[in-house]
Amino acid sequence: MTRGGSLPETSRYPPGDLAVWIFILAELAVFAIFFAAYAFTRMQHVALFDQYQATLDRNAALFNTLALVTASYFVVRAVTAIREGRTASARNRLWAAVGMGGLFLLVKGMEYAHHLGEGIRLSTNAFYMFYLSLTFFHFMHVILGILVLMVLAMRTAAGHYSAQSHTDIESGASYWHMVDLVWLILFPLVYVMH
Amino acid sequence: MSEAFTKVMARNIFYGGSLFFLLLFLALTFDTEGTLPERDNRQAITGKVAMGKRLWENNDCIGCHTLLGEGAYFAPELGNAYKRLGGKAGIIGFIESRPKDGIPGRRSMPQFNFTDEELDAIAEFLKYSSEINTANWPPNIQG
Amino acid sequence: MQYQSQAVAKLYFTAAIGLFAGQILFGLILGLQYVVGDFLFPEIPFNVARMVHTNLLIVWILFGFMGAAYYLVPEEAERELHSPGLAVLMFWVFLVAGALTILGYLLVPYSGLAKMTGNDLLPTMGREFLEQPTITKIGIVIVALAFLYNIGMTILSGRKTVVNLVLLIGLAGLAVLFLFAFYNPDNLVEDKLYWWWVVHLWVEGVWELILGSILAFVLIKTTGVDREVIEKWLYVIIAMTLITGIIGTGHHYYWIGTPEYWQWWGSVFSALEPIPFFMMTVFAFNMVNRRRRNHLNKVAVLWALGTAVMAFLGAGVWGFLHTLSPVNYYTHGSQITAAHGHMAFYGAYAMIVLTIISYAMPMMRGRKAANSNRSQVLEMWSFWLMTVSMVFITLFLTGAGILQVYLQRYSDTPLPFMVVQEKIALFYWMREVAGVVFLAGLVLYIASFFVGSKDPEAAVEQAASPTA
Repeated sequence: MTRGGSLPETSRYPPGDLAVWIFILAELAVFAIFFAAYAFTRMQHVALFDQYQATLDRNAALFNTLALVTASYFVVRAVTAIREGRTASARNRLWAAVGMGGLFLLVKGMEYAHHLGEGIRLSTNAFYMFYLSLTFFHFMHVILGILVLMVLAMRTAAGHYSAQSHTDIESGASYWHMVDLVWLILFPLVYVMH
Repeated sequence: MSEAFTKVMARNIFYGGSLFFLLLFLALTFDTEGTLPERDNRQAITGKVAMGKRLWENNDCIGCHTLLGEGAYFAPELGNAYKRLGGKAGIIGFIESRPKDGIPGRRSMPQFNFTDEELDAIAEFLKYSSEINTANWPPNIQG
Repeated sequence: MQYQSQAVAKLYFTAAIGLFAGQILFGLILGLQYVVGDFLFPEIPFNVARMVHTNLLIVWILFGFMGAAYYLVPEEAERELHSPGLAVLMFWVFLVAGALTILGYLLVPYSGLAKMTGNDLLPTMGREFLEQPTITKIGIVIVALAFLYNIGMTILSGRKTVVNLVLLIGLAGLAVLFLFAFYNPDNLVEDKLYWWWVVHLWVEGVWELILGSILAFVLIKTTGVDREVIEKWLYVIIAMTLITGIIGTGHHYYWIGTPEYWQWWGSVFSALEPIPFFMMTVFAFNMVNRRRRNHLNKVAVLWALGTAVMAFLGAGVWGFLHTLSPVNYYTHGSQITAAHGHMAFYGAYAMIVLTIISYAMPMMRGRKAANSNRSQVLEMWSFWLMTVSMVFITLFLTGAGILQVYLQRYSDTPLPFMVVQEKIALFYWMREVAGVVFLAGLVLYIASFFVGSKDPEAAVEQAASPTA
């Protein structure tokens, strides 16, 4: 489709660099297996999972869901802006997304501090093993996603991207949406469902 | 106009992804170190046990046996030898009684001519090993 | 051969083949001891023969890696080696140290060797694959540092290609991780925990980087496919390797006293470890199909494709067979592990070294590109004999392993270890026969260096058809 460079990048599917999509698929595979393992283990220990699920801070998690979705919204708007060549606007929206991601890290960090303070570790029980493994693995993805968005914002400000050339932003956006999507499964699965 | 799949992006994923998972691995190792005291029976490591481990190593026992399932598969698992052979006396009796020239046509453990103190140290080491929390491995006493 | 200094690789490759032959001889002794228990007892007990077998393997693969680096780094960097003299010196240091160590295993009782070399000062001996006396280990570090210096200086002051950088990262990782061989606490669990940082992070981590870059080099040279394409693949493959392989270390932390969450982490990530190997197979065949020319050295291409397939089977498929913790609970430390180990080491590491030797040796021995037809045909025979017999060795060991697991661990009336060993002896006999065929393949392989060496070089064929 895009061979010969006759079509603008916006018409390419999937958006962004194919290498990122290979990475995203591998990451989704890891999360999918982990989610399946969670569901499988929960079936065998329903009472235990329900009991300790109640100790989680659902309001904080709901707040964090909103933070990530808002960040994704800003990322979408940033991509729209750069496609139209509005560099300053794209940069601002990327920084806004970074801010929302930072908020997520802050709230999640407070949750972790609370659990650690109570002496909860990976080995405490099967529920906390999954809760900490899944959320911490995701937490690290948010950190990586924020770093990617920060680099993109700085490079946007430095004039690296234009309406014609912005594959990196689409790649980074795709990665960020993956991080967001995983949370949208993780949140109901680990915090809410029982 | 850039290509659909660029070398720079592949490179970034290599460096970023490797660093990411290395950090995660270090974090898990850190937690593991914090959890080990509850599982690895470290309170039982006496001078005798340490001496036994050295003898275990200096005679390359792992070249025939497994210990907690790791090693060679020529001779029985020894992580649970303390239980299978009926305690220290069983272990010591077995090692002591190996014929010098082996058993015709069959596998045999060499005769190492250990002193009584050395035999006791090896038995102590295997006792310590048998009390490590191995998540119920091996599946049964046969190892 | 474009640069004079590449010729030092010939020494390394020759030594590698010689040590390979030694490894196979001791493999046959071990195989026989499995069924004729008192064979060579008490002169060469099983543990001594096994040390020689596994240590020769490690040393000849390292010789192969170093030879590969000395051959391909100058060509990639487009300059002579920083110091060919240092490369030759280190060759002899490593060979003499290796030979003395092997002789020490064979001539002195192991405990005597430990005493002679002062193991009590810094105890590192007597752990699987790390049996070398501490002094040898220090020697390995010195050789590795000198080697890295030589290669690093060449790469940094020359053209920087992805092949060279990935190779350098792999080799540097190899050297750094080996330092954990010096950490041997009295605490058995911690000993095992970090022992795997050497063993696992070598073979399922940095060694795969070395494998990938050598394979990429040979494919660039033999297929003529655009370097950009091959380097992209290389990055994606090694990214997948480390993404899955680092946490994949957890599949060794199920039953050694480590926390039980490793059963999940290890299972999830190691379940994905076949992916990079699968990608490598797709990559190799893809590149050969898109080749722009038919290289005259057909047997080198055969080795390259064979490496990709056998690495996927041995490391990928046979690794996956027993990597999930509920399965591993029964198979841990059984002949299943031995089956996987044999095919993975042969398929991934023995074969990649044989690939680069097959590609580079003809040119270092004065050919323009390839050996004569007669020599190549003989080498192809050796390829098939060794590879097919290794498949059978793996299948027989897998059969032995399945029976062992059932009789000793899974049935309602578990039998003692030695009773089970006698029941599965037939599989060990068949494995030994397959091993003899492997040796025959090796003899043909060595013969291929001498047969037809006076014949003219393999001739040019008709031009490659692009759709082939």
